[in-house]
Order: sequence, then structure tokens, then C-alpha cells
Amino acid sequence: MRWTSRVRFLFLMPAVIWVLAFTVFPLGYSLYIAFYKIEQKVEITREKVPVLDENGEPVLSKSGKPRTRNIVHKNQVSTSEFVGWFNFKRLINDPQVWSAVKVTAIFVGVAVPTQLALGFLLALLFNQHLFGRPALRAIMILPIFATPIAVGYLFFTIFYEEGGPLGFLGIPFLSNPDWALFSVILVDVWQWTPFCFLVFLAALQGLPDELYEAARLDGASTFDMITKVLLPLLQPTILIVLLLRLAEALKLFDIPFALTGGGPGIATQSYSFLAFRTGLRFFDLGYASAMAYGLLIIVMIIVTLFFRRLRETYG
Amino acid sequence: MDKVRTRKPGSSSFNEALSSLVAIVVALIFLFPLYWAFSTSLRNPIDTFTVAGFGIPWIDFEPTLANWISQLSTPEAARALGNSTIIAVFASLLALIIGTPAAYALARFRFRLIPNRDITVWFLSQRVLPPVATVIPFYLVMRSLGLLDTHLALILVNATFTLPFVVVILRQTFMDLPMELEESAFVDGAGYMTTFLKIVLPLAAPSIAASGLIIFAFTWNEFLFALTLSSKNVITVPIHMAGGVDSRGVQFWFMAVRAMIAMIPPVLIALIAQRYIVRGLTLGAVKG
Repeated sequence: MRWTSRVRFLFLMPAVIWVLAFTVFPLGYSLYIAFYKIEQKVEITREKVPVLDENGEPVLSKSGKPRTRNIVHKNQVSTSEFVGWFNFKRLINDPQVWSAVKVTAIFVGVAVPTQLALGFLLALLFNQHLFGRPALRAIMILPIFATPIAVGYLFFTIFYEEGGPLGFLGIPFLSNPDWALFSVILVDVWQWTPFCFLVFLAALQGLPDELYEAARLDGASTFDMITKVLLPLLQPTILIVLLLRLAEALKLFDIPFALTGGGPGIATQSYSFLAFRTGLRFFDLGYASAMAYGLLIIVMIIVTLFFRRLRETYG
Repeated sequence: MDKVRTRKPGSSSFNEALSSLVAIVVALIFLFPLYWAFSTSLRNPIDTFTVAGFGIPWIDFEPTLANWISQLSTPEAARALGNSTIIAVFASLLALIIGTPAAYALARFRFRLIPNRDITVWFLSQRVLPPVATVIPFYLVMRSLGLLDTHLALILVNATFTLPFVVVILRQTFMDLPMELEESAFVDGAGYMTTFLKIVLPLAAPSIAASGLIIFAFTWNEFLFALTLSSKNVITVPIHMAGGVDSRGVQFWFMAVRAMIAMIPPVLIALIAQRYIVRGLTLGAVKG
């Protein structure tokens, strides 16, 4: 039974209007400027003004003329020009974009499955009597909320090749392009495996005791127990975690910003990083908007694939 | 509550000891980076790279608070902490004030035109939106409103990001509350608004407070928008952190202190709101 009073609009509408104003409108605006070429120029004009003394009288030079000085006016001018699909066509032919797509795809494709698998194994490990389990679980929570940008810089000190704590391994963590991407993945795995672990552990603990008892009486091996009982039962949870991790991993920005600056070269320049640079460092705003829309569409496809599951979970 | 699971009879105590050992090693591996920041922050700059072993204070080196004192006494650090606190407090309050009634509406009322669960998924989908898709229009809008480099811009942005979280998570909280109390309030003649304010909110207060803490941490950690919308005046803690690499090269000891300063508040929040973390981070899909 749910109520139908009109009051419901009073409760709901502020949030709906807020999202329309601060999310839907910006997204529409972004789509609009994706069809424009926007250029920011600084227009410099010089003006000669007489030099005045403290009484406001013009100061005369030796030759008797009033002395002047130059004032430089800097004016930021932005020009925009409708270019149709140009920005989107450029997107498809831009090698930087494809490099960023590749970096992001490898990152998502390696980091997310690793986090889920490792998280699940750790959840199985912790789903038993353990010495000091509450304390160990509390330690595992810490990485999740650690400020990502600080985590990036922190790992910069850890991966430091001359004198860092892992220096003895002799691995070029940040100076070799392949290792640099691996390092970015490793940091993300460090930060987000605990999230998968916590959720899976909660789901395992939520299963009834009888289940384990029954499986044991049937003589099921641990392997069978995991593959035939636990994984199928946890499937809804696994899908939600997968969706959340995919969406989050596609946003990758903070860690490469801090850890590698996108380098060496552009070896760790993620898609979001490239769009940010294009738009807000080189101020190619129209092109960057088109770029961002590319990512938005991929995320929307993923959400659509999960849509039925989401409706069931939150229905 | 401990539950004995996939364990075979007979080998229990040995298995338990072995599993505990593995679990401790795993936890230490995950703790190590945070520990390393702590250890580096206590070292003399000249000791940074020469400390042996695991860099345990008092054993491997003589710890000093000099880095902490010199970092915390800079006006920049104080301002960054102040800015981050102001932005996170007001953004969280704003998101709670707007989001809580919406969550209640979705939990208790029936919407006819669009079903409740579709509205919920619509809110949820904002949460997975890549921020880089809105950062450019936000930058342009804030620039034309003259709001660049103001607290207000970052408060609005962060409230926007955390609002869907509040709506989805608190909707679940309200659905879990028994409806009888509200219905008996109606019998006593109370209206919807009074019932919401006087009966429902106090009952949901722990969850609302936990959500507030979690979105405080999200806002505290936010980097991309702070980097874009602020330049001089409204430097937040993560931006201050990013300024640690300067022309004199990387100063590991200061960076460690700054990393610690940035991470301590959200990490403390994670520990305080432990019980709500699983539910919070899965947006209510899994109950922790």
C-alpha cells in the first residue's frame, strides 16, 4: 500500500528540479557546444596614458612633453562557430583519443575483474572464524575512503625508483610506459578490492546457516560449494558491484593525474584525463564536449545493459 | 556474529590458524601504503631514502614532528582545511535537505505517470555519470555567473553529485521503517508533513547522519571540479595536496604529511560509519 496524496510532489519535486537544473541542463548545454568550435583568445591592446604626479599634474619629460606610459589591456575573448559534426568526426580520427580509449579499456578490463575476483576470494577467507576479524575487517575499510588524489601521490613515493620501499625490485614502475599503466591499475586494485571484499562478505554473511550445513551434509567439496552454490546465489550482488565498479573505473582521472601525470608520454592518459586536458587546459571546449559525450554514451550503454537488474534491485 | 562456513570437521583449529595468518598478511599488505605515509611523515628529510627495513619509528629512525609542524603552520594548509570543511559541510547539508524528502516520497507515495522504481533508477543513473561530461558546461556556466573560485560553486556542484546518493540510500532506509507509526499519527489527525518531520525523521536519524558523513567524505575527496572551478581563493585540501610537487622537486616528507592530512578525515568517517558502508556504497542494494 502506498499513499497518493498530492503532497508527494512537494516532497519529490525539489530534488527533480535540482537534477534537471544542475545535471540535465549542463548535459544538454554540453551537447550543444559539442557542435561548435569554441576558441579562447586573449586580445591584447595597449593604451598610452600620461604619467601623473601625486597632485594629479602630468609629469613632463626633459624635452617638455608630458611623459606617458603604456597600459596593457588583456581581454579574454571567446569566439564560437557552428561546425556541425566536425568535432565528432575529429574524435574518430584523433590518435590521442584512440590511445586514451586503449588505456582506459586496458585499465577497466584488468582492474575491475581483478578487484572482483580478489574481493570474492578475500570474502571467502574472511567468512570463517578468524583471529581478530573485526580489526582486520576495519583495516580493509581504510583504502576505500582514502582521498584518491592523496593516494596517487602516496603511491608516487612508494613506486619511487631510487630509494622507494619497492626500489629493491628494480622495476621501472613509473618510467616505463607498460609498467606505468600497471602501476595505475595496482593503485586502483589496492583502493577498490576492499570495496568488493566488504560487499561480498556482507552478502555471504547474509546467507542462511542451513545452506552451509546442508551442503556439508551432502558431502559437497569446497570448490563445488563455491561454484555451484555461493556464486549463483551471489549473482545479483556480483552484478551490482560490477556495474558500480565499471562506471567508477571509466571515470579514471585522479590517480593518473597524481601518480604519472598521464605519462610517460601519454601511456597513462585516460579518457577522462584527455577530455579534461583538451577542454580545460587547451580550452578546446567544443571538441572536449564531444569527447566527453563519447564516454557518456559508453556509460549509458552499460547502464542500459544492467537496467533490468537495476529495476529489480531498486524496485 | 561469527558463522563457521566452508570448513571441514577435524582440521578446524589448524585451518583457523592458517586462515587467520593469511588474513593478517593480507590486511597488512593493504595497510602498508597508509603506514608508509605515516612513517615518511615522521622522518627527517635527510632520512627519507636512507631508512632501512620497514621504516618503523624509533627502531629504524628517530621520529620527528618537524614536518607536521611546518606543514600545519603554513597559512595555505589552514585555508585549505577551512575551505574543504566549509564546502563539505554545506554541500552535505544541502544534499540532505533536498534529498531526504524526495527519498521519503519514493518510499511511501505512489507516482502514477512514471513508476517509483523508474524515478529511483533515474536518480541512481546520475551517480554513474562520468563527471568529465558535466565539468565543461559547469565551468562555462560558473564563469558566466562570475562564480569561478567561490565556495558557492563547489557547494552547488558537490550537492549535485551527492544528491542521487542521498535519495537512493535514504529511500531504502524509509522503506525499512514500519509504516504503522505513521498511520497511527494520521489517525491522530497529523498531516503528512508533521508526521514526516516529527516521527519519521527522528526514526531515520542514524541513517541520515551516516549518509551525511559518507557524502561529507565524498565531497572532501572530490578533485576534478575543485581543480576546474577554483584557482586561488578556494583551494581545497586535494588541490593543496596536488600543489606539493613544486619547482624544488618532490618533497616526499611534506607530501606524506599532506597525504595524511587529506586522508585522515574521510578514513575516520569510514571507521565511524562502518556499519553503513556496504549499504551506502552499493546504494542500498546490499545490506551490510
